Amino acid sequence: MTKILTKHFDEPKLHELETYRRLGGYQGLEKALSMSRKDVTEEVKKSNLRGLGGAGFPTGGKWETVPPEEKSPGPRYVVVNCDESEPGCFKDRVLVARAPHQVIEGALIVAHAIDAHDAFIFVRGEYQNQYDILEDAIREAESAGYLKRCGMKLMRGAGAYISGLDTALLETMEGKKAWPRQPPPFPTVVGLMGRPTAVNNVETVSMLPHIMVNGGDWFAKIGAPKSGGTVVFSISGHVEKPGVYEFPMGVKLREVLAAAGGVKGGRKLKCVIPGGASMPPLVEKDLDVALDFDGVRAAGTFLGAGGMIVLDETADAVAVAHNIERFLAHESCGQCTPCREGSAWTERILGRLLDGKGTPDDLPNIQRVGENITGKVICALGDTVGVITRAYLAKFPEDFKKRAANG
Amino acid sequence: MTEPSAPFTPEQEAALRKWTQYYPYKQMGLVEALRCVQDWHRHIKPEAAAYVAQLFGLPFNHVWGVVTFFPTFTTKPTGKNRIGLCRGLSCWLAGSPQMAKRLESTLGVAEKEVTEDGRFSWEEMECLGACEQGPALLVNDRLQGQATDEKIAALAKELK
Repeated sequence: MTKILTKHFDEPKLHELETYRRLGGYQGLEKALSMSRKDVTEEVKKSNLRGLGGAGFPTGGKWETVPPEEKSPGPRYVVVNCDESEPGCFKDRVLVARAPHQVIEGALIVAHAIDAHDAFIFVRGEYQNQYDILEDAIREAESAGYLKRCGMKLMRGAGAYISGLDTALLETMEGKKAWPRQPPPFPTVVGLMGRPTAVNNVETVSMLPHIMVNGGDWFAKIGAPKSGGTVVFSISGHVEKPGVYEFPMGVKLREVLAAAGGVKGGRKLKCVIPGGASMPPLVEKDLDVALDFDGVRAAGTFLGAGGMIVLDETADAVAVAHNIERFLAHESCGQCTPCREGSAWTERILGRLLDGKGTPDDLPNIQRVGENITGKVICALGDTVGVITRAYLAKFPEDFKKRAANG
Repeated sequence: MTEPSAPFTPEQEAALRKWTQYYPYKQMGLVEALRCVQDWHRHIKPEAAAYVAQLFGLPFNHVWGVVTFFPTFTTKPTGKNRIGLCRGLSCWLAGSPQMAKRLESTLGVAEKEVTEDGRFSWEEMECLGACEQGPALLVNDRLQGQATDEKIAALAKELK
């Protein structure tokens, strides 16, 4: 089984610089620094590495949109997104705790590629242990001389899910409410404090040292046609062995489920959320779906950040949708009216169905409200509000009809 | 114009000033500075926010907007020990609603209320990123997995 990021996770002191270096750490950075910026970006483009924070945007292609120095003189920044907050996702927490230098090395490679001299790692406030681990690792990297070309600082969030979205993250870093910006311009052109900024996820940057050492072709070959390398799944819910599992992109859902020990207690599978709670679920007939960005997309949902939640036959689709919509309503930043109001309405209708007070109008209303949100808001959170209940309704109509008929 | 009286000790003020200088731009330190205030006072009073606003050269309304936007910041005091219970989907499947009842009965207060001795408050939180160890708790900024009746009883007994 090909493992890249978690290959050395059984080394107890992997988080220390000495062990990390003994296992080949910082050779990727050395290699990158011996190459031109353009060649580093070309190698990453060749690798088919795509953003593993959820969006799946080609990483090399993103950096290419950073304007050259002569067109935009002044500082440019690297921001590593460790604001993992999507229900079902915890791989960044594990990647940082076990291999903080892999993250730092990756961030320094991004800095070289876009000619940045300041890098920031934004860590969600609830990951205080990870913050402490990174703080120690940055100190070690600094004493070893790795931070001479590019400095690195940490910043913590303050509990808002939406801060994990790149443009909202930048707003948070600028000391503002985490209201997403409406791109374009994208952060690579107008980012932190108006300067070109590459915002990349923890897992994405962790891949970079390995791509530098082994080459883009090697990485591309491991993965699926248009999604290179591996993906680290966070698996939780009704499953025997929850945890993080690394697989090559394009692995079958069936295989991942089996690795995690299958459905808990041998019960029957109801559905699997492939990417985090905001992604519509896959069902039994989808067990042979290839888990890469395009394969999951073709099955009508998203790979997201690989936060897989397994639900067994005892789960009620209305209750699950209610849990997710309640989350989204709580985390809606309030900037766009359709999301702010629509998420609350959707939560209320689902709550009513759960309380046995559903009416026959509720199902068409959910449909109508959802249609009036998705595509009419700035960010993906709002789009999700409109999509998620409709997805559960489409896949499990009997759960909803039973509730709606009770009114 | 008179300076507003400092709601902070000289050491605290120095710590806040550090955040005005730590990042390339002053305003970038605001969230970290407010995290300090929340830690010290267990909530953020308008006077404290006004003082921070002045330190950062920002309008009070801007800072108050940030305070009231982020769930980490509260305008009403939390207990000395702030316990969060995850209600994200995986933790919910793992039984977080029962743990909410357990926290309420063990600590003897409703969600977001403070115990009489000031030692505790508890609240439900959105996904804490510990989905494989649900139901997860956040005890004073530190994650703890697998909440049980026993674990909650032990926290109630041991935390000062």
